[in-house]
Amino acid sequence: MKRVNAVVVGAGAAGGIVARELATAGLSVVLLERGKWYTANDCRKDDLRNQRTTVLGNAFGPEDEGNPRVWVDSRGEANVVLPSEGAYQNNAACVGGGTLSYGAMAWRFMPQDFRMRSTYGAPQGSSLEDWPIGYDDLEPFYDKAEYEIGVSGDESGNPFHGPRRRGLPMPPLPPNREFGILEPAAKRLGLHPFPIPMLRNSVPYNGRGECMRCRWCVGFACEVDAKNGSQNTVIPSALATGNCELRTQCMVREILTDERGRARGVSYFDEKGRLQEQLSDIVVVSACAIESARLLLNSKSRLFPDGLGNRYDQVGRNLQGHHYTGAMGFFDFETYDDVGPGASIAISDYNHGTPGLCGGGLLANEFIRLPIHTLDRLPPGTPRWGAGHKRAMREFHRRTMIVMGPTQQIPTADGRVTLDPAVEDQWGLPVARLSGNSHPHTFEIGEVQARRAEAWLKEAGAVETSLMAGRPEIVSSGQHQAGTCRMGDDPHGSVVNRNCQVHDVDNVFVIDGSVHVTNGGFNPVLTIMAIAYFASDALVRNWKGTGFRS
Amino acid sequence: MCGAGPARRAQMKARKEPGAVTRRQFMAASAMSSAAWAAGCTSQSGDWESLSEDQAGTLAVICDQIVPADDFPSASQAGVVTYIDRQLSRHYRRHRMAYAHGLEQAESISAKRFGHGLAQATAEQRLQAARALEQENRTFFELVRKHTLEGYYGSPRHGGNRDAVSWRMLGLAEPPVRGRARDVFSKGTRS
Amino acid sequence: MMRVLRFVAVLVGSAVVVAVVGVYGASSYYTSRHGAGCANCHEMADTVGYVHGSAHRNVGCLDCHDTRLTTKLRHIAVHLSRRWPETIRLRDTDVVAMTTACEKCHEQEYATWHAGPHSATYRQIFTDAGQNRKQQLMDDCLRCHGMHFDGAVRDLVEPMNRTGPWRVVRAGFADQATMPCLTCHWVHREGAVETRPAERISVAGEDVHDSLAFFDRRERMHFAAAELEIPAVYDGATAVKVSPDRRQAICYQCHAPREPETGSAAAIHHWGVQAGSGDDRTPMGVHEGLSCFSCHQGHNENARASCKTCHPKMSDCGIDVEKMDTTYSNAKSLHNIHWVRCADCHQHGIPKVGQKQPAASSQ
Repeated sequence: MKRVNAVVVGAGAAGGIVARELATAGLSVVLLERGKWYTANDCRKDDLRNQRTTVLGNAFGPEDEGNPRVWVDSRGEANVVLPSEGAYQNNAACVGGGTLSYGAMAWRFMPQDFRMRSTYGAPQGSSLEDWPIGYDDLEPFYDKAEYEIGVSGDESGNPFHGPRRRGLPMPPLPPNREFGILEPAAKRLGLHPFPIPMLRNSVPYNGRGECMRCRWCVGFACEVDAKNGSQNTVIPSALATGNCELRTQCMVREILTDERGRARGVSYFDEKGRLQEQLSDIVVVSACAIESARLLLNSKSRLFPDGLGNRYDQVGRNLQGHHYTGAMGFFDFETYDDVGPGASIAISDYNHGTPGLCGGGLLANEFIRLPIHTLDRLPPGTPRWGAGHKRAMREFHRRTMIVMGPTQQIPTADGRVTLDPAVEDQWGLPVARLSGNSHPHTFEIGEVQARRAEAWLKEAGAVETSLMAGRPEIVSSGQHQAGTCRMGDDPHGSVVNRNCQVHDVDNVFVIDGSVHVTNGGFNPVLTIMAIAYFASDALVRNWKGTGFRS
Repeated sequence: MCGAGPARRAQMKARKEPGAVTRRQFMAASAMSSAAWAAGCTSQSGDWESLSEDQAGTLAVICDQIVPADDFPSASQAGVVTYIDRQLSRHYRRHRMAYAHGLEQAESISAKRFGHGLAQATAEQRLQAARALEQENRTFFELVRKHTLEGYYGSPRHGGNRDAVSWRMLGLAEPPVRGRARDVFSKGTRS
Repeated sequence: MMRVLRFVAVLVGSAVVVAVVGVYGASSYYTSRHGAGCANCHEMADTVGYVHGSAHRNVGCLDCHDTRLTTKLRHIAVHLSRRWPETIRLRDTDVVAMTTACEKCHEQEYATWHAGPHSATYRQIFTDAGQNRKQQLMDDCLRCHGMHFDGAVRDLVEPMNRTGPWRVVRAGFADQATMPCLTCHWVHREGAVETRPAERISVAGEDVHDSLAFFDRRERMHFAAAELEIPAVYDGATAVKVSPDRRQAICYQCHAPREPETGSAAAIHHWGVQAGSGDDRTPMGVHEGLSCFSCHQGHNENARASCKTCHPKMSDCGIDVEKMDTTYSNAKSLHNIHWVRCADCHQHGIPKVGQKQPAASSQ
């Protein structure tokens, strides 16, 4: 197989951008993706089989067969879990990755989110740190992501965001009914509500149409291609350069290294299960936090007996996602209008600045709900089955609002990905083993956030409310997974440098959510995209002709 | 032979066929049925893929306690038994044993308490049996509850929620009416 | 050697006999007794059961469905391996193969459909440069055009960009109808058998012909017209009066209004979906409240000669109503027939009924 300049592992949010940036700069790129290139037709809005409701499986990968993981519960017992089960902490396995079926909230982190340790100090038992880069370093690349991938919204009502060079390229979608109810209530509470920025066309953009405002949003691929993911933006344009080849259903086994400890390419199983080698000058790992860590750990050799980049036992640590909390409000009037995407209004008042709390998070109304989502979201005391349950479904499906948000996680070194010593996947590779728990302070912040959400709903007229704030005994990661290959200046406490380059192997890069030092109180995808642009920019600047020199 | 279920068979029998089966067809049918039999098509399964007729009857009773009829259909009327039956041969294959035991247990609860099966039980007895099942085998009852609600409120394509009846009950149009063209014609000329 | 050869010959001969008898037997068996044979495979029972309650109960399965040997063998293989899909349905090739089957009995309806825009082909819809340059093709196009197509739009058309030139890549589909009979008709429908036309053609909203149903691509099943939504449409903030004719619910599935656009007055004021937006043609103005079927013929959209159903030949102004300046007589008219108002022509005030007056200058 022809040697290329770069192999990119994973065609998700970050991998797609890296492939496109490198291909545009003239590098030859092979983009390897373990999943398929799905379309909306592969799910056709199946309420029971999509990427959010997975009772009949994942619509956009991985399949339940042959892709297990192991989850170590709080009693220390190892459980084999399937991709459609919650404890698997799945994101997706397909071209586009999570961006094919996400809800598409497009948040920038705030400047404080990059300086968590110096702002708040590290709570005991945590591994809270500052990023080696700041908001200002990423700002141009946030902007690039907003314009190239396409974001709609209007940040002018949000006084808390960091400085930005210009507004968003598209206006927000017209408000839905929940927006109309929640906005005045927030203002009465002295809060600063504004429309949620979304990677979603509100008007025609980049040759594709606008959101049709249907009932099936997060968890589904968009039938009108109004949700902007890497699969309908950067990946087609990477392929159009002629410098990039996409190979789907290719599972990378390991990163190959030479006797000097530099990467020389990857070996992978192709769609027919045959083992192949693709040699390259550089290797970019963009497989999402859990799988990126697993790939590094699986890349063992004489020089790297514990896995590539893992000299100081850092790979796989600080696994974090978001601890979601909030409240349900039940109303004596209809709040549901059957207009997607439903999620429309947010406040950023509580992301930072609460005395005694290490950060916080945004609060927003939840995405439009399908009936299947209401089953267990009924007023407290509702019978769980029988005539009473059916009555409550009829009464409250259209009279419920949910306000919730991602609580900024306090990372710990124990929340981690390792390799399971016993369980292997369909290719015979050791699977990811997830262990640890969220830091207790995360739960404390989450509980405060839930009460704030409740107060907002009460102000909006909820006649009854119910808090959504558990203390799950499981490490949170899922679709917002991050942190496992931390970015830092000190090789003893991190895996990659500020340019996402593995500390001791200069031609291997990890570019995805894995490098997040902390994960913000926001959905992380726009930050992942900005980092992909940022790291690609550095990579291209340092690229010298046919080989990479650091 | 793989026969149609009793209900369906009755429906077919009730209608007088315009022409009796000819001798030729009979010969062919005999040849074919032996071939089918030889190939292992000896299933007795009636209308169901995974359940026996009796199991389906018991399951229908339990499902209908979880979603009873009001002015909208009950779970079994909306096809939930079909949903569960199909999935027990597909995604829920791993729950087959749980169903076999759980349904048997439901019948034995009825037999013990009321002296007859759930099929003969009164509405009140059925509800009591469901409550007793919930107490005695919570794991199974939770499984049926989950599957029943999925079938009733999920996508019609899987056999439950027939004609999207539960969505209509909640005031949700299916399929929803959504226009796409951008042009606004109300002032324009296009017809 | 001879014995071996003879043995082989006997073996081959027997195999041929078994195959012939088997396939022939299978055909006869499956098609006997109006599908009862088919229904014996229990995965087919529902499908066959439905048709027995429909107007087509006396039509044999093979009168409409494909009978090729390969199909039969596939059915047998699927049955024996128990790998049938959750719901038995027609594949897109099956739909294509049976499009003309309806014509055998419904000649008139088929001919009118064929003559009208609803028989548009995949080539006509999906290689239209004017459309494809404006916006990239997407899966949602298939909701109304090609709802039976088993694939994504990228499996149908190439290239997937806005520069073209485009061509239909799915073999055999370019000249097939995107909206065949099965789009609006549910042949295996549940419910009562055929009633007399006088009983079924009703505007009361209750008694819609059972077979009128829209094929929903997502669920891959029909939804009866009686259960489909007729949306509440608005003209600005005012609700438009919509005819209660339930048959229209089928039309609204594709000729649908849309949510107000970002920045529009309707969006800012939270008004509902607007008449005349998207693909909607809900009549406003003088024709408000009329059903689509008051003027249009369902099978080919034709509205020819429909004016005189209600209008006298000459209007009060002495103008032939069919020649008034609307899009009915002239497609380029500024006065769309769906929302023309009295004031559009009577710019100097609307004359009272019965008062003879020359028409406004435009006509």
